[in-house]
Amino acid sequence: MSSFSSPHFMYLFNLKNGKKKLAYGQSPEDALEILRIRLSEAEMAEILPQEYLKINQRQLQQYAKDLG
Amino acid sequence: MAYTWPWAKQRAKIVWIDLGDLGDLVHPEGPHEQWQDHGLGLLRTILHQNNIQTDIVSTRAVTSWEQLAKQLVGYDMALMNVRSYTYPSGRKAAQIFKEINPRGLVMAGGMHATVAADEMLAVPEFDKICQGAGEKVIVDLVKDPAAFPRLFQGQSASSMAEWPMMDRTLWPKPADRRLARHFNWPLEPECGWGPGPVATILTSRVCPWQCVFCNESSYVPNMGRKPVDQVIDELNYLDDHWGIGSFVIHDSMFFQNPSWLKEWIEKYPTKANKRWTYWAAGRADTVRQWPDLFEALVKETNWNLVSIGFESGSDRILRLLNKECTEEDNDFAIDLLNRLGDQIEAQGKQPPKFWSNIMLGIPGELPEDAFKTMRMIKRMKRVFPSISYYAPYPGSALGFQLIAEGKSKMSKDNYHRFPDDEKVIGVDYKFYRELLAGRYEDEVNRGLSPEEQGRGYSGLYARALTKA
Repeated sequence: MSSFSSPHFMYLFNLKNGKKKLAYGQSPEDALEILRIRLSEAEMAEILPQEYLKINQRQLQQYAKDLG
Repeated sequence: MAYTWPWAKQRAKIVWIDLGDLGDLVHPEGPHEQWQDHGLGLLRTILHQNNIQTDIVSTRAVTSWEQLAKQLVGYDMALMNVRSYTYPSGRKAAQIFKEINPRGLVMAGGMHATVAADEMLAVPEFDKICQGAGEKVIVDLVKDPAAFPRLFQGQSASSMAEWPMMDRTLWPKPADRRLARHFNWPLEPECGWGPGPVATILTSRVCPWQCVFCNESSYVPNMGRKPVDQVIDELNYLDDHWGIGSFVIHDSMFFQNPSWLKEWIEKYPTKANKRWTYWAAGRADTVRQWPDLFEALVKETNWNLVSIGFESGSDRILRLLNKECTEEDNDFAIDLLNRLGDQIEAQGKQPPKFWSNIMLGIPGELPEDAFKTMRMIKRMKRVFPSISYYAPYPGSALGFQLIAEGKSKMSKDNYHRFPDDEKVIGVDYKFYRELLAGRYEDEVNRGLSPEEQGRGYSGLYARALTKA
C-alpha cells in the first residue's frame, strides 16, 4: 500500500540553464520517470540527471524562485 | 456613533471583512458558496474573548463594491483571512478600505498570505501580512500593529484543544430574507450531504501527505487534534441551541490517527445527543490500511458521506500527482464501500455514499488515463462525483513548477474556483468537455459490467464539475 510501504521524496534537479526542476518519487530515478509523464523530450534533455538535491517539502518555498 | 448599511450600528473601530464572490450570501449559485469561514470565526472569537470588539462586513453579503464601500466608512482597522481563491476580492476590499480610510490599517493573513506572500507584498494596501496561523498573535497585532514588521510569521496553538469553542454568531448573516429562511444561521444550510441545519466542524488540521496539487503540510505546522470529548461537547452545544440535522467534518484528512478514531467510535454513538450522519474525508490507501476501522466508522458512527480524494483512476496520473495511492488502493476502497452500502441498505437503512474528488486536465494525462478515471467513477455504486480541472495554485509543488515553466493560465486576477475554466496551457479542454458530456461512453464503458455501464448518464458528469 503506497504511502505506507513506499514513501516518496522531493528532488531538485539542476537544469542546463541554471534553474532547477522539481521532481518527486521513491528515488531520483523514479522522480525523473514521473517527470517524463508530462514533459517533452526537449524539456527532459535540459535536466542534468546526476545533479540533484533531495529536499523536504517544507523547504520547497525557499527554492520556488529558482524553478524553471 | 456611525450607522452603516444595512441598518446596523457601528460599534467597533475594527472591522472584519469576510471574503468571497459578491452576492454569495444574497443569491448564491450553489450551497458551497454559503460555507462560513472557520479561520475568521476562530480569530474573531479570540478577539472578542479578549475584549476587543469587531464588526463584520462581507463581500458575499453585497452585490456591488459600492455597497461594500458604504459599510467600511469610519473604521481604523480592517482584518481579513485571504485564501488564493478569495485573493482578488481581498485585494479589492483592501483598496476600497484604504480609499475610504486613508489612515486606517489593513491586516491580512490566511493561506494566500502564507503561500504567495510576494503577491500580497506587491499590494501597498496590505499594511501587515501574517504568514501561518494567527491565533497566538492576533490579539497583540490588533493592540499594537507597530510592533510587527509588514510581513511576519504567525504562531499557532500547539493543539486544537487550546482553541476556544468558536462563537458562530460572529459569522456573517445571509443578506437576503428568502435565503435567511433556509440558511439556519448561525449553523449552515443544507447542501445535499445530509439534513439541515448543518454544523461544520474541525477535528484536525493539516493532511500530512505530500500530494503536489496541495502541499498544505508544507505551510501549516503539525498541531494536536481536538480531543474527542471536545468535539462531542461542541456538537451537543450546537444542537442544544440551534438543533443539528447533520454535520460536516471539514478536516483535510479525517481518516487518520487510528487511536483518535477508535475513541471517536467508542464515544460518539453514546455521548452525542444523536448519532447524526456526517461528511468526512479519507484516502483510499488509509481505507486499505485500516479497513476494520473504516467499517466500524461507517457502521457505528453514521459516517455516511465518505469523501475520498481519488483524483484519478490511472497509476500514471496518481504518480504524477504524488498521490501515493494506486489504482489497487482505489479499487479496494470502492469495493469495500460498495459492500458496506449493500449490507446497510439490506437492513433498510440509508447506505453510505462516496463524495468522490476527481481531477481531470492534468498535464501529461492521456485520453486513456481520463477514460480509466471515468470508469472508476462508474464502479462506485453510490457516489456524488466532484470533478474539477486541475488548477496550478501557487504554493503547491506542481503549481510552483508549472508557473515557473510558464504553463499556468491562472493569475492573481483569477484565482477563483470556477471548475470549468481552462487552467493549464497545453491541456486539450475540448476533449474533457466532450468526455464529460458523454461522447466517449464506449471507451469509458470498456470492461465494465452492464450494471456499471448503466451508471451515470449524459450530462451527469458535466454537472459534477464543482469548485476546487
